[in-house]
Amino acid sequence: MQQYLPSDYLPIIVQLVLALGFVATTMLATNYIIPKIFRNRVHGKVKDDTWECGIEPQGDARTPISIKYFLTAILFVLFDVEIIFLYPWAVNFRSLGWLGFAEMIVFMTLLMAGFFYVIRKGVLNWD
Amino acid sequence: MVDLSQYTLTCALIPFIPLIGFLINGIGFRHIPKGLVGLTGSAASILSFGLSLYLFNAFLAGGNQSFTVYLFDWITVGDLRISFSFLIDQLSLLMLLIITGVGSLIHIYSIGYMKHDAGYGKFFAFLNLFLFSMLLLVMGSNYPIMFIGWEGVGLCSYLLIGFWNKNTNYNNAARKAFIMNRIGDLGFLLGIFLIFYTLGSVEFTEVMPKAATVFGVDDGTVIAITLLLFVGAMGKSAQIPLYTWLPDAMAGPTPVSALIHAATMVTAGIYMVIRSNVLYTLAPTTLGVVAVIGLATALLAATIGIFQNDIKKVLAYSTVSQLGYMFLGLGVAAYSSAMFHVITHAFFKALLFLGAGSVIHAMSDEQDIRRMGGLRRHLPVTFATFLVATIAIAGIPPFSGFFSKDEILMHVYEHSPVMWVLAVIGSMMTSFYMFRLLFLTFAGTFRGTHEQEHHLHESPASMTIPLLVLAILSAAGGVLGLPEVLGGGNWLAKFMSPLFDLSRQVRPESFTQTHLSHSQEYILMGVSVAAALLALGAAAVLYVSRKAVPAPEGTRLPALQNLIYNKYYVDEFYNNIIVKPLLALGDFLYGVFEFLVIDLIVNGVGKATNGLSGVFRRFQTGNIGFYIISMVVGIIVILLINLRGFIL
Amino acid sequence: MFYSVVLLSIFGILNLFLGFLKSRAWLLPVTLLFLATALVVTLTDWNKSLFFWNYMMSTDNVSVAFATIIIVSAMLILPLSRFYFPNAAAPVPEYYAILLFSVVGAILMVTYENIIMLFLGLETLSIAMYILAGSDKRNPRSHEAALKYFLMGAFATGILLFGVAMLYGATGTFNLSGLAQYVRTTLVNGASPMLYLGLTLVLIGILFKLSVAPFHFWTPDVYDGTPTLFTAFMATVVKTAGFAALYKILSVSFTGIYSVWWITLAATSVLTLLIGNITAVYQQSFKRMLAYSSISHAGYLLIAVTAMGQTSQSSILFYSLAYTLATITSFAVLILVNENRAGESFSAFNGLARHNPFLAFALTVAMCSLAGIPLTGGFFGKFYIFINALEKGLLFLLVVAVLMSAVGIYYYFRVVIAMYMRGSDDNAVADRIIVPKSYAAVLAITTFLTILLGVAPDLLVRYF
Repeated sequence: MQQYLPSDYLPIIVQLVLALGFVATTMLATNYIIPKIFRNRVHGKVKDDTWECGIEPQGDARTPISIKYFLTAILFVLFDVEIIFLYPWAVNFRSLGWLGFAEMIVFMTLLMAGFFYVIRKGVLNWD
Repeated sequence: MVDLSQYTLTCALIPFIPLIGFLINGIGFRHIPKGLVGLTGSAASILSFGLSLYLFNAFLAGGNQSFTVYLFDWITVGDLRISFSFLIDQLSLLMLLIITGVGSLIHIYSIGYMKHDAGYGKFFAFLNLFLFSMLLLVMGSNYPIMFIGWEGVGLCSYLLIGFWNKNTNYNNAARKAFIMNRIGDLGFLLGIFLIFYTLGSVEFTEVMPKAATVFGVDDGTVIAITLLLFVGAMGKSAQIPLYTWLPDAMAGPTPVSALIHAATMVTAGIYMVIRSNVLYTLAPTTLGVVAVIGLATALLAATIGIFQNDIKKVLAYSTVSQLGYMFLGLGVAAYSSAMFHVITHAFFKALLFLGAGSVIHAMSDEQDIRRMGGLRRHLPVTFATFLVATIAIAGIPPFSGFFSKDEILMHVYEHSPVMWVLAVIGSMMTSFYMFRLLFLTFAGTFRGTHEQEHHLHESPASMTIPLLVLAILSAAGGVLGLPEVLGGGNWLAKFMSPLFDLSRQVRPESFTQTHLSHSQEYILMGVSVAAALLALGAAAVLYVSRKAVPAPEGTRLPALQNLIYNKYYVDEFYNNIIVKPLLALGDFLYGVFEFLVIDLIVNGVGKATNGLSGVFRRFQTGNIGFYIISMVVGIIVILLINLRGFIL
Repeated sequence: MFYSVVLLSIFGILNLFLGFLKSRAWLLPVTLLFLATALVVTLTDWNKSLFFWNYMMSTDNVSVAFATIIIVSAMLILPLSRFYFPNAAAPVPEYYAILLFSVVGAILMVTYENIIMLFLGLETLSIAMYILAGSDKRNPRSHEAALKYFLMGAFATGILLFGVAMLYGATGTFNLSGLAQYVRTTLVNGASPMLYLGLTLVLIGILFKLSVAPFHFWTPDVYDGTPTLFTAFMATVVKTAGFAALYKILSVSFTGIYSVWWITLAATSVLTLLIGNITAVYQQSFKRMLAYSSISHAGYLLIAVTAMGQTSQSSILFYSLAYTLATITSFAVLILVNENRAGESFSAFNGLARHNPFLAFALTVAMCSLAGIPLTGGFFGKFYIFINALEKGLLFLLVVAVLMSAVGIYYYFRVVIAMYMRGSDDNAVADRIIVPKSYAAVLAITTFLTILLGVAPDLLVRYF
């Protein structure tokens, strides 16, 4: 294996300094420099308001949303990701042979068990 | 050689019978009838005593051959093997007999004394547990087993001091005893570690010969070991500066004071020093420290004893003082004399406490001697036995205390006449405060209330019989070690002599035969007896003829007397020097951690990042930001340490 | 071990379906049976040295012993759930399933051979714990606990994973034996910063889970807010598994560069001992005190890891077992007291000895064990660890540990004093607690084992 010298890490350090420098500069600029230059134009009733495409803002954006949406969304992600495993399996179906088939059966059984559980729990009942 | 295997069971049974008693009473104390509880507890103790006697006889018959009884392997760590085994020799047998013998008497006494107490079963269970621990302590063949017993008796003492746990003062006393003992135990434990570290073993039979070859006289390590062990002894045997718990320990029931805080547990420190006598002989410096501390304790406690008005407190300070004498004896390498005093002290001090218990019982739980007086007529047996014990402790012949104390004093004289003078002054004070106690309690007229007077009665037989037995022992116990000048053979010293063979080898000069002539010995004895009698006379004149009674609480006392009456303010001193600063430090740290760090730093960080906080505040409580920041700081520090080679 | 992992995973799923049955009476016995099966299967691996799944896992006697401790503690904690959920709607089967899954994670942590498996196990265990921490849905403190645990845990996980990546970058392998090989051969030519960085970050990741200072901040808050039943699980199973994992990676792969990591461990253990013990002194809540006590015990265990040697594995095992037993006892009594007397402070224990001598005795034994008083398992746990430190010459660690164990006695005995010496002034409080049979059985077992370990420690130690 090739041996690295500490000097080989120099580019990383340069990038680190630049990244931190950007953050620090931006923070300082937005907090101290820009307000000094544009005195009255930074804060104000209109400036601090939520931007709502010209329509008067109404209420809080953080309204409670029914848990059902989250459940459906998370279930979708879950099954979506699991199903992805089927693609490589299908492509290599022949070379994996019967053992591969059996393994996939086990996998699908577990997945279906989860699906059955979800249905029995009534997660998908909308009302 | 005798076949020893037949004694394995006997030896195992001696401590385990009380353990069984503890289990029976401890588990079933709600269900066992009251009569049976006392019987079980006492029977366990008496059985142990019987077995000890049997073992003692077998030992004598077998030609005084010490032996080790191996039960099972207990701890194995690498090369270290600690077995659960008992060492049976002269020392452990003597202690066995004292513990089980006096213990049995006190058990029987407790049947009468504790009869009306709600925690009767619990009490006997604890007493048996104490016996078990104490027996382990003296029978163990290595330091760890001894340490287990050591901790066990500490725990029992704690439980029994706080036995009447509804009273906060009593609980504080229990806690004080526990904490002071823990300080001592820490020293003891470090001493054991050091022994293991330097000698590679903790078995007595291996440590001592090894120490004799490895260490020179006054080697630094051996001084460290012995001093650490002595710190342990200080805690357990109430020596300066760890003595203040013992008087407070009188909060426990009186039989407990008799058994644990007079006859047995507090002598554990002396036992331990005698057990390690080779180490101590190798460290004359430590012996000097032991002698000085012993003498100082003896004198200090005696002066405090003179002005105490609580019958048990007087006895407690007297115990501290007598323990001081024992350590003085150890300090001048008179090991067998110290042991002699342990034995006689066990007799007469147990008797004194039990007698005091009988008085308290009769007086309806009154302990202040200013309200007693004239009890001689009402409690004849108690009075007679108390008198015997008082004479014995005062060192007036022919009772036992005289012989043991005199033997110590003689050795002290050989060592240093100045110390002898101080010790005689101490024994004079002993005689004075003991007779003061006796006269104030039993002589003169009754000073209590009418109700109490009406209620006065001699205690039941279960209480008086132990008193009588102990009185006989206190009177005649001196026979064990009758000195040669008085025509005795000093059996005890001869019996124990094999224990010190090794010490004699490593430093023969500390064991030279006495160079005092018989007439000198007579003079020494005469002086100490005269001193005791003088003090007796003074007490008689003051408290019998002039009928003086100590001033009641709240009277202004002369400054010096006030100082002593308040026990030299040692408790207050400890409170101010140790407890309060610790509390203050605790408050300070608390303040730093909870207030400074969380409030100031977190808020500071919060202000510094004021612009961003509007976004992030919703996700964070003030604390978690601090948590993560400190984690990050920790990570950076650790990285800097581990990668220091690459950064620098 | 392979089979117990598979079985427990399947059992966990089965448990979910058991929840659909009408009667819940079978749930607890069946779950206990599952664990017992897994225990038996685990024990069949005794005296075998095996690799599974292409060198993903390896078992030996030590890992079997750690797995046994983990499964047994789960079996001791489960019966405490008997009356813990008065609400009939509580998703108890799910809790059990999650507990089983977390046991799977813990077993992976003690048997891993590939660092990826360590990561998987740690995450399985941690995610299960995040959920259980927040399981008391009506209690904001439980939410707080879950959120704090999750946020900080995710942070630590990131660091751990970064470390694993660094290790791979430096050595080109995930296997412990591969790492050991690298340390033995390649590293001789010169130090590798990437390896050191990776090792340090992995250590930090594990130390966080063990609540070692300065990564301990989550512990009091999380322990406090989590339902007590699950706190008991957190304090025992997570800690045992974590120390087994820490010991395994250091002893198998990195003994060759002891000089690199021992300073970290020594320094953090001193810090942990100081912070854990000293802060515990000022706690008014028994539960919070137990949290700090758990921090301090991590410090003692770290000493054994720092003093890596012939006997440290048996010390860690012994200490973990003693600590686990005593901790389970404490939490069991705490649950009972909290439910019957409504309080977790020390004063809730006032006068317990008069009304419930058995509970008071069990708790006293547990406190003695935690404080290291002789004749209890905890004493020998400390004793063995101190001997390790002595043999390795780590005297300063020994001094700190001895001093701090003296401090420990103070706060452990506060509850004993409360039970035996304080009367309960409130009459309603004075009522006798009715101890359910399941609790009595658990307490009897833990107390008996604690004393057994204290009387005859050789029963366990002789095997290692």
